[in-house]
Amino acid sequence: MDFPEFSSGIEDKEAVVQSLFWVGGALCLVATILPLVLLFRPSRLLRQAALWVLLAGTGAISAAAILVISRSLDLHLTLLSITPQLALSFRLDKLSCFFVVIIGAVSFCAVIYSMTYIAHYKSERSKQFLASGLAFFILAMLLVVASSTTFGFLFFWELMSLSSFFLVMFDLDKPETQKAGIFYFSMTQMGTIFLLASFLLLYRFTGSFDISAASNIPQWGKGLVFVSLFIGFGTKAGIIPFHKWLPYAHSASPSNVSALMSGVMLKVPIYGLVRFIIDVFRPDLWWGIVLLFFGSITALLGIIYAFKEHDLKKMLAYCSIENLGVIVVGLGLYVIFDFYGLRVQADLCIYGALFHTLNHALFKSSLFMTAGSVVQATGTRDIEQMGGLIKRMPGTGAIFLVGACAIAALPPLNGFASEIMIFQAYLTSFSLGRPILEILLMAGLAALALTSTLAAACFAKAFGIIFLARPRSGAASAAKEAPFAQLLAPGILAALCVGFGVFSYQLISNVKSGMPLPDMLPIGIIVLVLTGVTFLLLLLTRSPVRKTETWGCGIPSQTGKMEYSGDGFSEPIVTVFKPVFRTRKLSTREFYDKYNSIPKSSSGEIGTLKFFEERLYVPIARFFMKIAGAVSNLHNVDMDALILYSFIAVVLVILGVGWWL
Amino acid sequence: MMNTGITGDLIEVLFVLILGTAAFVITQRALRSLFTLYTIQSVILAAIAVVLFAEHRTVSLLFIALLTLVIKGFVIPAFLRRTLVVLPSKRDIEFSYLTPASSILLSAVLLFIVYTSFSNVAEVLFSDRLFFLGGVIGVSLALMGMMVIFSRKKVVSKIVGYLTMENGVLLFGLFIAEMPFIIEVLIVIDLFMLIVLSTIMAFGIDSSIEAFHKKLTQLGMRFED
Amino acid sequence: MNWNTAVYIVMNPLFALVLSPLVLGLIKTVKARIQGRPGPPVLQQYYQLRKLFHKEIVYSEDSSFIVRLGPYLGIAFMLTASLFVPMVFIPQTGWFGNIILFFYLMITAKFFMVLGGLDAGSTFGGMGSSREMTVSSIIEPVTIMSCAALAFVLKTTSIPEMFRTLLAGSIFSYPTLILVGISLFIILIVESARVPVDNPETHLELTMIHEAMILEQSGPKLALVELASGVRQTVLMALLINVTFPWGLAGLAGCASLLLAAVTMAVKMLILAATVGLFESLLAKIRFFRLPDFFMIALFLSFITIVFELLR
Repeated sequence: MDFPEFSSGIEDKEAVVQSLFWVGGALCLVATILPLVLLFRPSRLLRQAALWVLLAGTGAISAAAILVISRSLDLHLTLLSITPQLALSFRLDKLSCFFVVIIGAVSFCAVIYSMTYIAHYKSERSKQFLASGLAFFILAMLLVVASSTTFGFLFFWELMSLSSFFLVMFDLDKPETQKAGIFYFSMTQMGTIFLLASFLLLYRFTGSFDISAASNIPQWGKGLVFVSLFIGFGTKAGIIPFHKWLPYAHSASPSNVSALMSGVMLKVPIYGLVRFIIDVFRPDLWWGIVLLFFGSITALLGIIYAFKEHDLKKMLAYCSIENLGVIVVGLGLYVIFDFYGLRVQADLCIYGALFHTLNHALFKSSLFMTAGSVVQATGTRDIEQMGGLIKRMPGTGAIFLVGACAIAALPPLNGFASEIMIFQAYLTSFSLGRPILEILLMAGLAALALTSTLAAACFAKAFGIIFLARPRSGAASAAKEAPFAQLLAPGILAALCVGFGVFSYQLISNVKSGMPLPDMLPIGIIVLVLTGVTFLLLLLTRSPVRKTETWGCGIPSQTGKMEYSGDGFSEPIVTVFKPVFRTRKLSTREFYDKYNSIPKSSSGEIGTLKFFEERLYVPIARFFMKIAGAVSNLHNVDMDALILYSFIAVVLVILGVGWWL
Repeated sequence: MMNTGITGDLIEVLFVLILGTAAFVITQRALRSLFTLYTIQSVILAAIAVVLFAEHRTVSLLFIALLTLVIKGFVIPAFLRRTLVVLPSKRDIEFSYLTPASSILLSAVLLFIVYTSFSNVAEVLFSDRLFFLGGVIGVSLALMGMMVIFSRKKVVSKIVGYLTMENGVLLFGLFIAEMPFIIEVLIVIDLFMLIVLSTIMAFGIDSSIEAFHKKLTQLGMRFED
Repeated sequence: MNWNTAVYIVMNPLFALVLSPLVLGLIKTVKARIQGRPGPPVLQQYYQLRKLFHKEIVYSEDSSFIVRLGPYLGIAFMLTASLFVPMVFIPQTGWFGNIILFFYLMITAKFFMVLGGLDAGSTFGGMGSSREMTVSSIIEPVTIMSCAALAFVLKTTSIPEMFRTLLAGSIFSYPTLILVGISLFIILIVESARVPVDNPETHLELTMIHEAMILEQSGPKLALVELASGVRQTVLMALLINVTFPWGLAGLAGCASLLLAAVTMAVKMLILAATVGLFESLLAKIRFFRLPDFFMIALFLSFITIVFELLR
């Protein structure tokens, strides 16, 4: 972007950015501590004040990031230096500030949303914790993407995981929340272990903790680091097969936390992947194929699983998995096209993936916030209990509609604007010259096409069943519109969705010119004009309007039971994709005697086979439990055995000293 | 060495159409349409031979085209349609091991695999790129015919599958440089045909292999199960 | 925004709007004659639309702004999509033409129709919406594969550019387009809800897909919806015609050439309409859950078309 250069020069701008950054960070820290002051007498005033402070903090950091992007600066800041190697330092360049803007903007709206959302929880003390945890979580995420050393990255990553764990476990008394929290925690720790392994390997090869271009790495080392990075980041991003924690965590946590987690926290591993692929390594071809393969499977399976859900937040969580898959597909394509030197296609893919990251953050958090208002108003997360909400909550409904259109990739909104970049790259990639690779790309294209239309179908179902027609339960008919803050926050995000979609061509041309993309602005204008013209023409016909009840084949009073249900809507697609949803039949019988002739009790169950959970996770978990059991058996021994262990350990150390030194 | 020009493109169009008929054979349930599809397939095969004759002027190609057209285009379908009269049910709706949709996915993957494997030996066996494609399509057609044989229950559909296989082998033979190889393959295929025919003559044309096994068990000739 | 573009923006959608009822009428007449009855007059659809504009609009008490706003958005998006397929002359502007954007604009129109079907709370509407989204999702890979095949063969993703390339070549320069034409024909059948995918003349709840969604529309709104469906059919037919047989399309916008091009396109459109009518009469509607098999075959065909292009 071209801004007029001020006469004071670049150092002044850097100073402004630096001060904004530190001030913003400090404000967020204050916002963390403030609600915890006077915990024995929780004060609503303190909490509201903390939220405003947090608002100011995120605003300041976002402003700093926008300045960096517009001026193309590259700053290095240091917070704490334990040793010259282990330092918590930050680097604000265009890539990290892009992600800082995403995190900051969405957190800004999430905090606005939280101002009235937190109020509906019962316990005063837990409300203080929620506000404080929110601030800490946001601060940790901002600092992760700004880090310039792997040490700092991992430190803030752990802080982010811990704070999000506490936020997920907020409704402690429900058993499903406990299960969700433990699942989330173990999965995220597993991911962190892989990240730690890859960072240590990187240190061993390059000798420094800096996130900067790494050279002199042997081929096998590069591959190993990539695989552990992929597993570590993939776990946090929800790539199949590491995705299982996502639906549980997102549905169990409070809605503002879900919005943050889905909209923002899932982007942090994407930042990691992008940074390591672009800046640190020169990626090999097979990296791109791995990313493409796992991304396509994630996208396809994510949306297919979303279809069967009738828990609103689980469905949104699976849709997040699908969109993350699309982003990873974009990254994989970038690696492949970059390897073959197809500059135009590679640019399309990387900018498309990054743009989709931004768009997903915008529309997903908007959707989660409106979903949170709906859940709060009706008291249930089950779609089958809702209905007719658009008359009772018109604002929420309209904003949800905008979000649904955006996620369904309908032009001219932003979801389509980023997906078409990836499609355009696919369609213009006919000069690769390796037919086998091109055939694989075609298979990926078919999967992507299927995914995006299935997303449209899923959100047609979601919007239709939740908001349209008649209420299906008493709770739904008694729903009231959400308070203003809970409309303002998603409303801002929805307006940004429309803006980024319609002006996508202008925006992308400012960042990188010469990309073969269609212009959405004439489309938007023409659609508006045509709608207006048709409306006026129809007014001319002066047709009388009459309201009556829906035709129900003569039944005098229609209830909510006569409309189509969510399960019914998704039934054809579920039937078509039946091999994906395997059913599992379980029957158990208990007998009184050992000849199994006098029955005591029996039970039968038919359920969906949770494929990844039962065939992949549980056996691995059992294996580790066995190892843990064996190790703990080693501990439960008497004093003499413990001295024996120490004796063996000392002998081994002496041997080691003698041999290696 | 690419065979450019209109004949090359025309042959490629015919290749895609012949694979299309094979895909239809995999999914069709009505027996009458299976026979119609087989007729269309044989006609396309004859057309390919004619176009090749127009390009290379080998008289034996014209002979093959005529033979294919007459026997596989008219005689065999007429015979099959006459046997259709005695069947009580004119549909075959059961599939074992593979659903129609997954069979088609598998055919696409097989085409890809055959192409990759054969590209190593392409220079030895085939004279130019078009012929290489023809060979790959022939083998794929044979494999698709084999898929029809094992995934359908009724013997009549298995016969159509076998006939598709034979079409595929013939297509492969049209494009390969060494001819005698083909004779050995044809012998193996005729053995298949013997088994199928013996089933029909022993137990009736609307039986299936399961009835065959059941009868054998009754007669005490099988010792498992 | 020059003169050429302005004429194009006005003329192309107008051409589609004016021609679509005639096309629908011709298909109905062809089907009726094959069934041995005289059938309605060919201009019947025009009379139907005129009648609908004079009738009253009936809304259900349970419906919301979706059913009021939906038809406007449907026709607006569909007419915008019609700007992407030049029917009479190829414009100089580069604003419109991306083939993916074209298909997705049509999906947007369909999306609002689907929501409208769910709005009144009737079971028929929900059923039609659900089936429409299923069919639309499963045909999408075929559509995008055909787009990819066209993009590969003609080396561009802009539809006017494709037509320009085709006009410049001879009839034998791109023979694989016959195969792409077959895929486009299947897509035409699916999107315009014709037999064997959906029967546009039935109103039995177990057999309708598209018709069920628009049951609750009435009066001028129903006229708008019918027009939108007609424009969708016309535009897809224009795409198919110009991909396989583009001669007659004018490169410039002179008055005489425009008239000639319009008449040529109308004639070609009517021939294709008669073919569609014939095709519909020869087949029976496929059972709903057999449709994925049918689409799988179409996907297989377009996939191997692309593979052949790549392996050249």
